[in-house]
Amino acid sequence: MTNESALRPSGANVTVAPAASQPLLRVENLSVRFDGAPPGINVVDDVSFTLAKGKTLCIVGESGCGKSVTALALMGLLPTPPARIVQGAAYVGDQNLFSLSERERADFRGNRTAMIFQEPMTSLNPAFTIGDQIAEGILRHKNVSKAQAWERALEMLRRVRIPAPEKRLRAYPHELSGGMRQRVMIAMALANEPQILIADEPTTALDVTIQAQILSLVRRLQEESGMSMILITHDLGVVAEVADEVAVMYAGRIVESGSVDAIFEDPQHPYTIGLMGSVPSLGRRQGRLATIRGSVPPAELMPKGCRFSPRCPFAESRCASEPPPLTEITPAHSARCWYAPLEQHRGAAA
Amino acid sequence: MLRYIARRLLIAIPTILLVSVLVFALQKLLPGDPVLTMAGEERDPEVLAFLREKYRLDDPLIVQYFAWFGQVLQGNLGISLRTDIPVLKLILTKLPVTIELAIFAMIVALAIGIPAGIISAVKKGTSIDYVANVTALSGLSIPNFWLGILLIMLVSVRWQLLPASGFVPPAEDLWMNIKTMLMPAIVLGTGLAASLMRHTRSAMLGVLRSDYIRTARAKGLLAPAVILKHALRNALMPIITLSTLLFGELLAGAVLTEQIFTIPGFGKLVVDAVFNRDYAVVQGVVLCTAVGFIFMNLLADILYVLVNPRLRHAR
Ligand SMILES: Nc1ncnc2c1ncn2[C@@H]1O[C@H](COP(=O)(O)OP(=O)(O)OP(=O)(O)O)[C@@H](O)[C@H]1O
Ligand SMILES: [Mg+2]
Repeated sequence: MTNESALRPSGANVTVAPAASQPLLRVENLSVRFDGAPPGINVVDDVSFTLAKGKTLCIVGESGCGKSVTALALMGLLPTPPARIVQGAAYVGDQNLFSLSERERADFRGNRTAMIFQEPMTSLNPAFTIGDQIAEGILRHKNVSKAQAWERALEMLRRVRIPAPEKRLRAYPHELSGGMRQRVMIAMALANEPQILIADEPTTALDVTIQAQILSLVRRLQEESGMSMILITHDLGVVAEVADEVAVMYAGRIVESGSVDAIFEDPQHPYTIGLMGSVPSLGRRQGRLATIRGSVPPAELMPKGCRFSPRCPFAESRCASEPPPLTEITPAHSARCWYAPLEQHRGAAA
Repeated sequence: MLRYIARRLLIAIPTILLVSVLVFALQKLLPGDPVLTMAGEERDPEVLAFLREKYRLDDPLIVQYFAWFGQVLQGNLGISLRTDIPVLKLILTKLPVTIELAIFAMIVALAIGIPAGIISAVKKGTSIDYVANVTALSGLSIPNFWLGILLIMLVSVRWQLLPASGFVPPAEDLWMNIKTMLMPAIVLGTGLAASLMRHTRSAMLGVLRSDYIRTARAKGLLAPAVILKHALRNALMPIITLSTLLFGELLAGAVLTEQIFTIPGFGKLVVDAVFNRDYAVVQGVVLCTAVGFIFMNLLADILYVLVNPRLRHAR
């Protein structure tokens, strides 16, 4: 079903001919820098990916690798300063989000693109009711009366399965549990039927039992509406379950990306292989990725070449000095490693 | 909510009792014998004895205290030794003048302090923010009397725009009343405006960093809605409490301002009473002020709960 070439990441050295059916979102060479970071060290570095209509892209990677910063950059929600988009483009259709005016970006937000956040406990305004906070987003983008907006807010609360929705409409955030608040955030994000939903670790802060509920809710809503989704997660179990495409991030760079089958069946980057090895199959606590030896070097010590090289069991001298290109393994799968594709380097890797 | 208010009122009672003891003790510790002051030059022993008897100055302290407090509870704050007018009546005629001045000053402070605080928070790090902060700092450090004299010299003497002193009751001539109150209100309000500005600024800066502001922006809301609805509502919660407490301080700060502009308010009453050793008046004024402070505190607490949905439901 999927159009292979549309899903291929367009890395720095891979020239991609315009696909027959355009992807909904195309991110090209996105780099984000924070003021005060050492020169040349970007928190998000040369990130490219595409998102097809109705599909789910999962971005995985350790804490601090730049997943949220990538998402916020796409939404136009980075704190600027200190953050700055130093290069890159994000096309929705043929509109580059980064070249829009602030006003035009605001017209996009919560309307054609929406986001739910990592922190449900603090993401709702404590001073206003749930209904008010959902309705105001509808009133902002749709030409409806206040009563119609509240009616729609109620409908959204029903859709996210909040019990006693009429009552919840008049409730304040502190009266709701974390899981319920995240449902409200989802209702808020989907109220204007966005084409793209960015879900930044929507379940990390919640109880394990609630996590599955929220996740299946998001999936059901996605199926109902046909929207595309970028799901950021630590949890490879979740990735296996919901992803069409996967992008693995390490220290601000995408080190491997491809279809979910390709990533799970034939991982190419040593970091991805490490992640696979570290996913306990049963009774996992939170499913966190943790067991690769060493840790991410601080920005000042980041090698010029492959950023994973200090921790990589296969690293050789050139790895630290020369950044490996994003190498295409199959049309739907590429990895940023000198050893990729692995088959050709089997002797060296052993 | 009602239970919360009732509980807070109950807690206020021991505080008021303590204040009454302090007020009573303070006046007993003051140097100078009031009887000698009253008797004037003559020092006739019989007159002295009569006065001591009349004001029960020879009874044990504890008896004096209960006698005095019993009277206080009935609304009898004694009689001014100097003018023979009941202290309560004196207070009730002077207090409204000071309250009017304080309200005007508060309006000046809020009208300047809160918008300036919002703007300098939103424009943090720009020249606007810098100018606002420097202005606020000078507002805080300029003494009231200096600003008062400066205003009188410019506005009244040189430009002859407003009267330099005097007071006209609003019932007599409202327009004239406002004109006489304007400069004192500005003098009294500027220091407060500066401190409100700085508090509003830091509250806004804290709120603007919060996750729910990011959510508001994620909805596509534009800056005015994000700042004036989502941020301000939360930043104002502590500011409301602060303003209530500052209002109490305004009443105290009015003493000096009333002297400068010769406004016959509470402040002038205290100063005159102290200079004349009119102890009954001093006592009454101090007691009134203390009780006023306690109630402003109470009001601040109650307002804080009222504007904060989280607390409103919890109590
Ligand atoms: N406001 C900021 N100022 C400076 N550095 C920042 C700021 N926000 C994020 N960073 C840096 O950017 C990097 C990426 O952060 P990001 O929040 O994107 O990580 P993440 O992948 O979402 O991690 P997690 O899984 O913990 O959410 C971090 O190393 C962090 O130090
Ligand atoms: Mg994150």
